[in-house]
Amino acid sequence: MASLPKAGPDQAFQEHVADGRLWLQYCDDCGEAVFMPRILCPHCSSLSLEWRPVSGRGTVHTLTVLHRRSRPGEPEKINHAIVLVDLDEGPRMMSHLPGTAPEDIRIGMRVRARFEGEDGARAVVFDREEGAA
Amino acid sequence: MSTANGSSLRGGAAIVGVGTAGLGEAPGFNAMDIQALAVREALDDAGLKLSDVDGIFCANMSHTFPVISTIEYLGIQPRWIDGTNTGGSSFVAHAMAATLALQAGLCDVALICYGATMRSGAGRMVPATEQPVYEVPHKPRYPMTAYAMSAARHMAQFGTTREQLAEVAVSARLWARKNPQAFERGPLSIDDVLGARMVMEPLTVRDCCLLTDGAGAVVMTRADRARDLRKTPAYFLGGGVASYNRAVSEMPDLTSTAAKDSGERAYAMAGMKPSDMDVLQLYDAFTINVILFLEDLGFCPKGEGGAFVSGGRIAPGGELPVNTNGGGLSFCHPGMYGVFTLIEATRQLRGEAGDRQVSDVETVLCHGNGITLSHQATAIFGTQATL
Ligand SMILES: [Zn+2]
Repeated sequence: MASLPKAGPDQAFQEHVADGRLWLQYCDDCGEAVFMPRILCPHCSSLSLEWRPVSGRGTVHTLTVLHRRSRPGEPEKINHAIVLVDLDEGPRMMSHLPGTAPEDIRIGMRVRARFEGEDGARAVVFDREEGAA
Repeated sequence: MSTANGSSLRGGAAIVGVGTAGLGEAPGFNAMDIQALAVREALDDAGLKLSDVDGIFCANMSHTFPVISTIEYLGIQPRWIDGTNTGGSSFVAHAMAATLALQAGLCDVALICYGATMRSGAGRMVPATEQPVYEVPHKPRYPMTAYAMSAARHMAQFGTTREQLAEVAVSARLWARKNPQAFERGPLSIDDVLGARMVMEPLTVRDCCLLTDGAGAVVMTRADRARDLRKTPAYFLGGGVASYNRAVSEMPDLTSTAAKDSGERAYAMAGMKPSDMDVLQLYDAFTINVILFLEDLGFCPKGEGGAFVSGGRIAPGGELPVNTNGGGLSFCHPGMYGVFTLIEATRQLRGEAGDRQVSDVETVLCHGNGITLSHQATAIFGTQATL
């Protein structure tokens, strides 16, 4: 029977990012960075994945803005932008920018990761980088 | 003697019966009810009986075990059962799987079917139990978010415009206007599409497929038996499937789909190329789909799909007829659309498509897309002359 690592990948991710930094798995065999967290490397099938803190910097690869309909009499609802971010280390992730208006987000914009949510259920969100166009 | 690209399947089976039911709205009926009506129509079309069916292929989003519930409802006891669920593409993939099972002698009469009543409410779309857990906290709307993201990226990378996306919706509508069974048949202009309610930038509500009720069924037999049945057979010439990812964030390239691989596999099996295709049925859940699939299936270079669809090229009277029934955008879209590509392909090959009939159709390419650009299935059908 295959032996289990100390914690499952999702749990290990939450434990690592509790320090406020973004962590990714790196493959000891092929060197690729991996996200979403996995038990094996999707590039080479290696089981030797090691957690490392990363820069948290990335670029908006694409975005879409959900236009929400409000019912008659209700205040107009705020549109919600959802992005894919290409991390400088390689992997891509879905996210959103809670502190940035949808109309200010552009494809190619530089962004920086932070976390939202409770301990054990943190999600990676992004802010526009200072001085970014 | 089989060959490495599966070409022993070429011409091995044919669609011999097609049926639909409850297209548009079917209040008071559930998915299994209208599916059964479509099955009966398809069997009557073929001149076969339910008791002849000994192979079944189906998938849906309202049942956890759709194929088992279907067997029970129809009262059949098939000896070959395939419930492969790859999303809306399932049924195009089922056509190849059915050909394989028929050729292997695992069944003699294969039934492919689908039904849903998500518009009327009895049997709603149930969200998939396994959602991409690293996407959900960001509040995407599936499946639309994935397609909007692909469209936005296609626009940024290749200069594709919203007008070009709109051209896909307008072309579909022009076909639908020739199809008395289409759900939306009113006039539609590019300005109408651009000015429609924005849902998920850059897609307006008119860039998005309908949400209707509807059921479809297809009956296939081996080619030798097909020749003796009531209707002109639509022969299976080649097929292919491909998938790289479930979540859109895991998609290797937002502007290139696995249709490139499924298409190449289908062309190789058929011994054909894109220019051999007379009519296309491309799964148009959103306008961007048609542009992506025209590129990935080899009808134009990557990035040029927007220009390709412009000027009515895929509309009635255009060079390349696409989605001649009006597609998921204007004909019907009951959650999963794939089976309707097979049905329209058959009708075009038989020459029974009425006002929308394309002249001299010898080949039709069907392309199914599943989930959020997650699974692609291609199947090519042809007349006796193409064998
Ligand atoms: Zn590796």
